[in-house]
Order: sequence, then structure tokens, then C-alpha cells
Amino acid sequence: MSLVSGPGRGGQFQGQLPNELNLVIEKHVEYIQDLGTRQDELEYWLTEHLRLNGVYWGLTALHLLGRPDGLPRDATIDFVLSCQHENGGFGAAPGHDPHMLYTVSAIQILATVHALDALEADGRGGKEKVVQYIAGLQSHSTGSFAGDEWGEYDTRFLYGAFNALSLLRSLHAVDVAKAVSHIEACANFDGGYGISPGAESHSGQIFTCVGALAIAGRLDLVDKDRLGAWLSERQLSDGGLNGRPEKLEDVCYSWWVLSSLSMINRLHWIDGEKLTKFILNCQDQEKGGIADRPGDAVDVFHTHFGIAGLSLLGFPGLKPIDAV
Amino acid sequence: MSTHGVPRVSGEPPKSEQDRAKEARKIREYKSLIDAVQNDDLTNETLTLTSRLLTWNPEYYSIWNVRRRIVCHLLKEMTTSTQAEGPSTYRSDTSTEALSDLISNDLKFQLPLLRKFPKCYWIWNYRLWLLEGPSGTLPKTNQQRLWEQELSLAGKMLSLDSRNFNGWGYRRKVIAALERLSNGSDDHEQWLTESEFEYTTKMINTNLSNFSAWHNRSVLIPRLLNERRADRQARKKMLEEELELLQRALWAGDNDSSLWFYHQNLMCTFDPQYAARSMAPDLSHHERQTYVKAEIEKVHEMLEGAEDCKWIYQSLIQLNMLHKNLSGDTCHAIGQIIQWVETLNKIDPLRSGRWNDLLQKLRPQ
Ligand SMILES: [Zn+2]
Repeated sequence: MSLVSGPGRGGQFQGQLPNELNLVIEKHVEYIQDLGTRQDELEYWLTEHLRLNGVYWGLTALHLLGRPDGLPRDATIDFVLSCQHENGGFGAAPGHDPHMLYTVSAIQILATVHALDALEADGRGGKEKVVQYIAGLQSHSTGSFAGDEWGEYDTRFLYGAFNALSLLRSLHAVDVAKAVSHIEACANFDGGYGISPGAESHSGQIFTCVGALAIAGRLDLVDKDRLGAWLSERQLSDGGLNGRPEKLEDVCYSWWVLSSLSMINRLHWIDGEKLTKFILNCQDQEKGGIADRPGDAVDVFHTHFGIAGLSLLGFPGLKPIDAV
Repeated sequence: MSTHGVPRVSGEPPKSEQDRAKEARKIREYKSLIDAVQNDDLTNETLTLTSRLLTWNPEYYSIWNVRRRIVCHLLKEMTTSTQAEGPSTYRSDTSTEALSDLISNDLKFQLPLLRKFPKCYWIWNYRLWLLEGPSGTLPKTNQQRLWEQELSLAGKMLSLDSRNFNGWGYRRKVIAALERLSNGSDDHEQWLTESEFEYTTKMINTNLSNFSAWHNRSVLIPRLLNERRADRQARKKMLEEELELLQRALWAGDNDSSLWFYHQNLMCTFDPQYAARSMAPDLSHHERQTYVKAEIEKVHEMLEGAEDCKWIYQSLIQLNMLHKNLSGDTCHAIGQIIQWVETLNKIDPLRSGRWNDLLQKLRPQ
């Protein structure tokens, strides 16, 4: 039970876009299901460090596509548990070191398949052990979170911690107020947030900061009109969104911008129809999967973010997604 | 972390038997290298194996951790072997040299990887860990030399890609480390804010459309003024210089969003809601009003011949709203503002939801 996260095998791209744009749901389902069968490719092994994220991206995409049974549930749970370490944290795959990013993916997967009790199985230490691992990564002085024992701090990890802890109903295990004040310190005059205090605003970091504030119930701290304006300026003439001023548009940034706009109730500040077209144009119509931009190689990461974006835009036939 | 900018290969021919055998061989080679690295021997030999594996795949974060554990172990060995020689709290010359070599070889090993994978977080993280952790036990002058090399590395990375997010972040961390080192002991404080400020000027002169440089500038200026113990006049002087620099840039590129975001940033100086964190927090109400008025005139002038530039209208709207708030004049220019918003609705239809919201707010109920 493990999906390859590298570039997909490509289908035809004529350099020209089909007039009728459809979401090729069945193709995407097959593409995702096929990812686990590619062990004869070097790429499969070279992306092992993304395995658990890959499962989360694939699984979520399948759920949104209305195929919650698209991956075998028991094998998924077994694989997640095989990534857990003694200290409660999860690695990207068996034998990979524990890290916040994969611990969050693990909890998200288990929550998606309603299997959080699997953590309580013999000798695992239950959810309490995972909560302790996450809480242990918070800095007492800044309130920020490290990715692992080696101590790299990033607002991505803060959001991850909040996300996993709220799924485990254990947000109280960390100093929420201190973490919130750290996010405030990362705010810029343009309404956005950077990776650390003083860093430039960046859509990915904005998503993590706004997401964490949403979980903490502190969206009142967001300068919504200003942030909304900055985020809406990410949309370029082809409908796609970029991550920072004067950068290229990309499906993954489209999701981070879109979900941030949704959290501050300003989803209508961009042209949803044009963004929908942009995402559909990034599909591999023949073999399934979605790329960063039209004509590029697909991967499960962009497939997930593309489908998630379409879902948030209310695309017919997709299950609704929670922006946080 | 994922695939970006890799063209989709269309109609790939099926792999030949030979290609498949070759790929299978590569996979075996890769997997046996992983097995060899995870042998629990914290030795120089294993360190070399991790180098081979990370050159192949620098995203394999657990292998960077193996490397960390080996470096820590070797470091401990050096310390204990030195202590055996005699009771001293300082490292002997030989031990310093050995550690120095270990660290500088490791830093050198990463250089080609950084060039090839400039966006790989794990390499940057490992590098910082090495410099902040293990190298922290070296004499101060050695540490300083290492960090200075890093500053020129950050400069090189940014000259290759002037918007590299990791590059700018790394640069800020290097500067902080250098300042920490020089301000640790004596009371003569030394900051690098001035030279960093000059660096952003240099970057902007190379390419006006560098939002990262403008952003860094906005963070540096308040610090710089505090370090200079700038009074009101000096702050106003700096503010006026920035306004002028930006004005010149805007005339050159009125469609450049980076410049308009910096403009918005500078205008915060006149907005009571934001002014406290700005470069001139103590302007009087009257001064703020005067500046805003002058700015409205300057931006308005730009409109001629650039009637399709959405940024000018957006700026005019924001400035006039600010002026309205400062002057307390509720009906000031409201009709004109509404007209500008309606123009935006036409020339910037992607964001019509935003313009309609604004219209609703502006129009009397
Ligand atoms: Zn992307």
C-alpha cells in the first residue's frame, strides 16, 4: 500500500486544449490506484521519502472523487502504522525517521478512513503518545514548532501540529496562545504571512498561518481585506494563481490561495470559472493525473491539490472539501 | 517535494527489455546503498556512503539525519581523545584542525547539490544545523570565517535566482549568526543592517521587479533607523528618499505589482492603524495628511497615458480612503472613488467580486 510520488507517465498533449473540458474522473481514479504498482520504476524508490504524504494526497483525492473505497482500507491502515516510531512520531515510510510532516499525514489518513482507534492497538501508546510527540516539538520561548528533533522551525509545522492535534481533540496539550502570537509576529503590512518573523509573504505560508488561526478560533487577527486583496492579485490572466508577486501560476499554489480566501470568506474575489478551466487544462486527459501547469508531467501532489481546488470551487460531481 | 516545470512526455515508447533490466539494476544498486548506509556504524566510511546516496537523492531526509548522527559521534570522539591528552577546557590545535576539516569538507560536499537542487529544504536545513551546532564548538575566528563564506554563498545563490525564497531566508539567518558572533562578548555592538540595506539597493538597481528585495528593505529600514538612533528629522528624510526612489521606479514600470506592493507598504507610515510598526511612527496627524495629499497628486499624474493600468486606480482608491479617514471628511471625493472602482470592474474583471464588495461598502445605503 504505497503510492509513487514522482512524475507520472505522460499521455498525449497536443499543445492545444480541447474545447470541451471535462474532469476525467475515472482516469484520475485509475492513475492514483496505479501509483502503488510501479515498483519496477526507479522513481518509485527515489520518492520513498514522500510515501505517507503520497497516500494522503491520493486517498483524499479519491474521497473527493466519490471513491472512498478506491484504496484498500486495511492495507492503508497497516501501512500507516508501520511508519510509526517508538516516540509516537511517524516517518515517511517504514525505516524513515519520524517528522512532523509525516505524523500529520498519518493522523489525517487515519481520520479520513475513521481509524484513529488503530493507534490504541497493543503497545503503541495510543493517541496520547502521538500527542506527546507533537507537543514535544513546540518551542517554549517562541511558541513555534520544529519539524523534528534536529530543530528546524517553520510555520508549516505549526499548522501541521494544530491540524493533527485538533483531529486528535488534544489542542489543549500545547500552548495555543503562544503559537498564535508567533503567527502574529510573522504578519506583514500586505496582510500576508512569511515563514518566520521578517520573511516575505508567501501563499503556502499564508495558508498555514490562516489555517492555524482558523483551528485556534482566532481569525479575528487576520487583516482580511488586505490579505484578501493580496491573495486575489495572485490570479493571472490564464486563470491560474501564483504563490508570490511576479511568479508563475501553479495548481498547488492555486489551492493554497483559494483555501485561504475561503477561510476569510473572500472566495468570490477571484474568477472561479477561469481557475476551474486552468485546473482542467492541467489534466492529463488520456492517462489521468494533474500537473502544475498545462502540458507538464503530472504527479499525485498536484492531482490532489487540483481536485481539492475544484471541490472548493463547487465543481459538480465532487464531494465538498473543508478549506482548513 | 514534487514535480514542477517538467514537460509531459507524450506517447512514450514502451521500455525495451534492455531498459527494464537496466532500471532494475539501478534500483538494486540504490537499495543496497541504502542498506549499507543504515549499518549503525558511525564512521567516516559510512559518512562517505551517505555522501554518495545524498548526491543521488538529496530529498532523502533520513539520510541527512544519519549524517548528523555520524558528525556528532565523530565530534565526541575528537573531544574525548583530546581530553585524554591533558586537562584543558580548550580544544587542542590538532582537535580544532580535525573538526575544522570535517566541517569544511562537509560544507564543500553540499555545494554542487545546492547548485543542482537550490529549492531542496533538507540540504539548507542540514547546512544550518552543521553551522549552528557542531561548528559552534570551534574558536570564534574560525566560526566567523565559516559564516562569512556562507554570506557570499547566499549572495551567489541570489545572483542566480534573485527571488529564491530559501536564498533570502538563508541570508537573513547568516546575518543573524554573524551579528550574534560579533556582539557576544564586548559591549561595542556591531550590526550588519547598513550593508544589508545597501545590498537590497544593489539588487533593486539590477532588477526593479524584485519583490523579495523590496520586502527585505521594508524590514531593514526600521531597524536601521533604530541603530542609527535616528530622530524625527532623520526618519522623515529616509521616508522621503524611499518615496522618491519608488516614484522613479514606478514611472519606469507602472504595471509592476512588486513596486505597487512596496508603495502600499510605505503608505502604512501614514495610516494610524499601521504606523506604529513603520519607519516614522511619530508623524503628526497634519504631516500624515500632507504626505498623503502629495502622494495622491503624484499617483494621479501617472494616470495620464496609462488609463488601463489597474494599479494606479487601486492606489488612488486606497490613498483617497486614507485621506478621507485622516481628514474625517465623510463625503470627500466619494463620487470619484466610486468611479475608479467602476473602472476597475471593467479593466480588471478577474477580481470583480472584490470590486463589487467595495462598491457596496462605498455606496450610501
Ligand atoms: Zn506546484
